[in-house]
Amino acid sequence: MAMIEVKSITKSFGSNVVLRDFSVDFEQNGVTVILGPSGTGKSTLLRCINGLEKTDKGDILVDGLSVNSKRNLRQIRLACGMVFQQTVIFPQMNVMENLILSPIKLLKMPKNEAIDRARFYLKKVGLESKEKSRHNELSGGEQQRIAIARALMMNPKALLLDEVTSALDPEMTREVLNILESLASDGVCMLCVTHEMQFAKDVASRVLFLDGGKLICDTGKEEFFSTARKENERINKFLSFIGD
Amino acid sequence: MQEAHVYGKYAHFAISDLFTFLSSCGTTLAVTLISLFLGSVLGVVIGLIRCSHNKVIRTIPLIFIEPLRNSPLVVQLFLVYYGLPVVMGTLLDVYSAAILTLSLNTAAFFSVLVHNSIKAVPTAQWEVGYALGHGKASTFIHIIAQQAVRLLIPQAITLYIGQLQCSSILSLISLRDLCRVGQLLTVRTMQPFIVWGIVFFLYYAISFPLARLAGYLENRLNYSY
Amino acid sequence: MHLNFRFLSNPIFIGLLKQGVKNTLIIASLCIIFGFLLGIIFALMRRSKIKALRIVSTVWVDFLRNTPFLVQLFFFYYGLPQLGIQTNPLVTSVIALSINSSAVNCEVIRSGLMAVKKSYYECAEALGFSYVQTLRYFVLPISLRVAFKPLVNNFINLILTTSVCFSITVVELMGACKVINGRVDRPFEIYILLLIAYCIITFVLSFVSKIIDKRIAVEL
Repeated sequence: MAMIEVKSITKSFGSNVVLRDFSVDFEQNGVTVILGPSGTGKSTLLRCINGLEKTDKGDILVDGLSVNSKRNLRQIRLACGMVFQQTVIFPQMNVMENLILSPIKLLKMPKNEAIDRARFYLKKVGLESKEKSRHNELSGGEQQRIAIARALMMNPKALLLDEVTSALDPEMTREVLNILESLASDGVCMLCVTHEMQFAKDVASRVLFLDGGKLICDTGKEEFFSTARKENERINKFLSFIGD
Repeated sequence: MQEAHVYGKYAHFAISDLFTFLSSCGTTLAVTLISLFLGSVLGVVIGLIRCSHNKVIRTIPLIFIEPLRNSPLVVQLFLVYYGLPVVMGTLLDVYSAAILTLSLNTAAFFSVLVHNSIKAVPTAQWEVGYALGHGKASTFIHIIAQQAVRLLIPQAITLYIGQLQCSSILSLISLRDLCRVGQLLTVRTMQPFIVWGIVFFLYYAISFPLARLAGYLENRLNYSY
Repeated sequence: MHLNFRFLSNPIFIGLLKQGVKNTLIIASLCIIFGFLLGIIFALMRRSKIKALRIVSTVWVDFLRNTPFLVQLFFFYYGLPQLGIQTNPLVTSVIALSINSSAVNCEVIRSGLMAVKKSYYECAEALGFSYVQTLRYFVLPISLRVAFKPLVNNFINLILTTSVCFSITVVELMGACKVINGRVDRPFEIYILLLIAYCIITFVLSFVSKIIDKRIAVEL
């Protein structure tokens, strides 16, 4: 059984159908990059998996638990850490408190253990010196790295990354992608919606291409950037358009 | 039987009570409106003084404003009604004391609103005025004042509503306003729910439309700088 | 004009003043707590998904804000015994003033809640927090910090408003002064001192609140 099974879901906002009878499975391994033009339901797919959006039709099973049942939502959200384009580092707490609050409150982890864990992940994202900082003392890239560390604190089975670098300047984007690359080499399972082709080429093990709410292509990285590109006019157009 | 007996001790409502309500409503409105008018005029003057560039002149009105803003209206009222005659050697009637107190109180709050509204107009607007060749007074009258008034109006209405409600406190020196009449009638008829229901309704009927107007004007006149 | 403050040395009056301060403190602190809690409840109701709750909250706030506190106070003072509820004036004052301040508190807490954007809710929910936990750990702490200054203003106003409660025979600070004035007939001295006393209370409170606000302020 796959870790995440998306079973023919349909999701629309008003009259705009974003995902149409969409199915896909994700195993718990490697990095899956989800590509596609804007507004084709990439982010919506991640938000549906996390239960932030309710699907109109169909079902998603995470670890065998359906997102349609409210009771499963917490389990599912603990299994899938999510990081957004617009990060929120809660302003009333410092970085350390941001990191340890959810493990302490939701996993009932002892405080000492949580702090040790937080230090470990802060080191991982290269921000061990920012333990006491507040959100307004951090750059956008640093905030995003903290948000990744915060998601990892819960020991999720997969990380859902929703255009985490889109709001950042190139330098900060690089900082964040470096972190993601090192996580990938540690074997963390990730689903990334991104527009960073270089990142996809470097670390993806699988590439999904969405257009018009449908899955156009689902292959390994090499095939996508060579064979699929040649065979599928739509993908070729998209890749050329982004300047690849 | 017991019940009837108890009720029997008190007078019932009479048609004349309706007129009492109406006339007290008039008292409340008259006292409030006169005070609001006097208070606003005085408030504008003080507010303008507060905008002075001279630090000393700018600070002096605070001696008047701050005590009025930071103490209860009842205390001010009692000070004026009972205390002032002792100092001045003349008696004040209820109406003068009520109007004097409420006017001064309104003036203190209004002056702060005036001051804030003028300060809220960006300095760039002054510079534009000077650059166009206007003098200080001319810039103020032709460019700044209008914008400040727009900012002021919704806040002023909110203040007026507040003061209307505060005017009920004037009943504590036996001014026969709406609240006082309510109290007298309650004691006479012992039907608090009907009496206070009517009083609530009358205050609400005056106040609520004004509150809506303030909300409407706030959205309508809102500048975004 | 001769000012005469000799009455201040009379131990009976000092005792009265102490009792007045005590009652003012009791009313003010209880009303701050109840008014604040009620304010949170009504602010949350105002933002609820259930229409009935929204309407109840809107009507509640509208009504209380558009009628004078003194009338509300008299309503409870004369109305409660009529319903067969025997209370003392102190309790009546606390009830009336708590209810009255809940309306103004509701308004400022509501604007504090509006300052917390949707992304905050989503982020907390994505971490696995339930709606109630999200409110408890994130939304309320943030919005109450945002609303801190106007809330303190409301509290200060509330303390000033307690002075009206003497009209239903509560001997709080104002009531005590009125009793003393009845004995010594020195209205100017007494009420000017009282006015200064209230000013000092508000100045001290707003000074303290500014210091606290600096420490807890959040930038969103």
